[in-house]
Amino acid sequence: MNRRQSKLLRSLARSLVRLWQRRGILFLVFSYLILLGWLCAAGSRIDLRPGEFYGIPDNPAWTRPDSGHWFGTTGNGTDLFELSRLAMATSVSLAVVAVSLGITLALLVTMLFVLDRGEKRFALPNPAAWSGFALPPFVVLVILAGGSGGSLGVTLSGLIFVIAFHLCPVLMGWFQEGENGFDVIAAYALGLSRRDIMVSRILPGILPRLIGLFATFVPAVVLIELALSFLGLSGDRLSCGAMVAYGQTLILEAPWMAVCPGLMATLVVTALSLLGWRVSAALRTGPVPRLF
Amino acid sequence: MARILIYRLFVSTIRFAAAGLALFVLLELAFCVIGGSDRHVWQAESYDPVPPELSVRPVSWAGLLEDRVGMSLPVLVICVPGILLIGYSWGVLGARLRRFHGAGLLSVPFSLFACLPGFWFVVLVAIYSCFEWKRPGFANDLVVEEGPDLLRWWHAAVVALPALAAGAAWQIRAVSAVLEREVTRPYVRGLFMAGCREDEIFYRNVVRRSLPALFALSDRPFPALVGSLVCLEYAFRYPGIASLLVESVRIGSYGGILLSSLAIAAFLSVARLFSECSARLSTPGSPIG
Repeated sequence: MNRRQSKLLRSLARSLVRLWQRRGILFLVFSYLILLGWLCAAGSRIDLRPGEFYGIPDNPAWTRPDSGHWFGTTGNGTDLFELSRLAMATSVSLAVVAVSLGITLALLVTMLFVLDRGEKRFALPNPAAWSGFALPPFVVLVILAGGSGGSLGVTLSGLIFVIAFHLCPVLMGWFQEGENGFDVIAAYALGLSRRDIMVSRILPGILPRLIGLFATFVPAVVLIELALSFLGLSGDRLSCGAMVAYGQTLILEAPWMAVCPGLMATLVVTALSLLGWRVSAALRTGPVPRLF
Repeated sequence: MARILIYRLFVSTIRFAAAGLALFVLLELAFCVIGGSDRHVWQAESYDPVPPELSVRPVSWAGLLEDRVGMSLPVLVICVPGILLIGYSWGVLGARLRRFHGAGLLSVPFSLFACLPGFWFVVLVAIYSCFEWKRPGFANDLVVEEGPDLLRWWHAAVVALPALAAGAAWQIRAVSAVLEREVTRPYVRGLFMAGCREDEIFYRNVVRRSLPALFALSDRPFPALVGSLVCLEYAFRYPGIASLLVESVRIGSYGGILLSSLAIAAFLSVARLFSECSARLSTPGSPIG
């Protein structure tokens, strides 16, 4: 009687063991997907304007928060909870796109310098980065968004540029750190080319840390987007920041219209931050620069 | 020592000039290239006198700068020492308690507070003071005409608190990370094997050897701190230098934008200068270190 397990069973068992070993990461990934799925289930309506909901009609139909409407309703009777969820979906989507593209741009720029053989290959980018720190990212974004009328494209481009600018020195540091490893020195001794060493030895160690960077930066960029929309510099787009700004003119009549969108923003940013810290710790990303 | 100071001062001046140049390019790009304005940054007629929207009384640009910096000073007086004191003391404690994830635990309250959108927090304070204390909530609603202006410090504290929390959380983790990295060095194991006590190794060797790296961290939270203040001051209607930037951007005043941004850049350059000088002077082999 053949007591050996079939190949299929063996590979299945091995896969299950691997999944069990990575249960921490999988739990975080699922939590992330659930949060994003819950936000995006509200749909995506980029044509909605906060001014439409926060105007005061002749007969305001707003109601206080109750069991039927957790966050109350606006002057025209729209449920504020659903509206806030829709607004946060837009902000988080913008942040996810901006952070992804920002990290990609930073990696591409870093690779340009890293593949250089010269000893002083970081002589240009490092001083440029230190000079750039004299202008805080949010100041740059306020000027860019305010001067250009706050279109979505400009805000997104500005965020991508700022993220890439602040990430480049971090990535260069990681590459420099990786170059000091014993395996890299051995690879040089064995005659591997610099490109091979970078692409096949150092880059695979850096790529997982980029996921940690992504998870850490998303809540910060959400906060930046909320702040820009609160200041009225991101156009008339639906965002919890703009809703708080409109709501503060109705403090006496309907204070929940300023309080509840902020509460939704706080809950989502806190959830994203907690997940970000766990992902960053699990992937040993290390300290990252603060954007906001 | 004088040579180091002069050299660092020279480098800081060049960095400030580079930041100023970058600001001019950014203004031209944002307002003229993308925004379609026909007022270029290099034209003298683009710089009007102080618009009435930026000051309630007629004042020159220098006077406006003086007024706004004077208002922002209490905020910075609360924020900067707060971040440095909490960040360094709790960061060292976090590294000391590294077996119990001390840094993470100590920074959690600050990190969670930093998850609140700061502008929402200050609006909440305004709503609370409006309903509970029956007095106007925002910073520009009430002016103290007689006696000590304690209300000014209350307003400064409301603006400073969210920015301080975020800065302190980052600083605790950064300080702790530096010390925890130093603890993994081989000499620490050697000292332990030689019979030195753990606290002696930590405070007399690890902390002392990490001093240059720790000093170099001292200015890192400030760019994000100033960025937060731009939003917070405007949200609480606090007439500081950071809110001047938003007000100027909204009315398209190049003079106001340059004035506020250059003041911010100057503050950050000075902070970087202090940080670099202290890091350099505390390095072993330097005139003092």
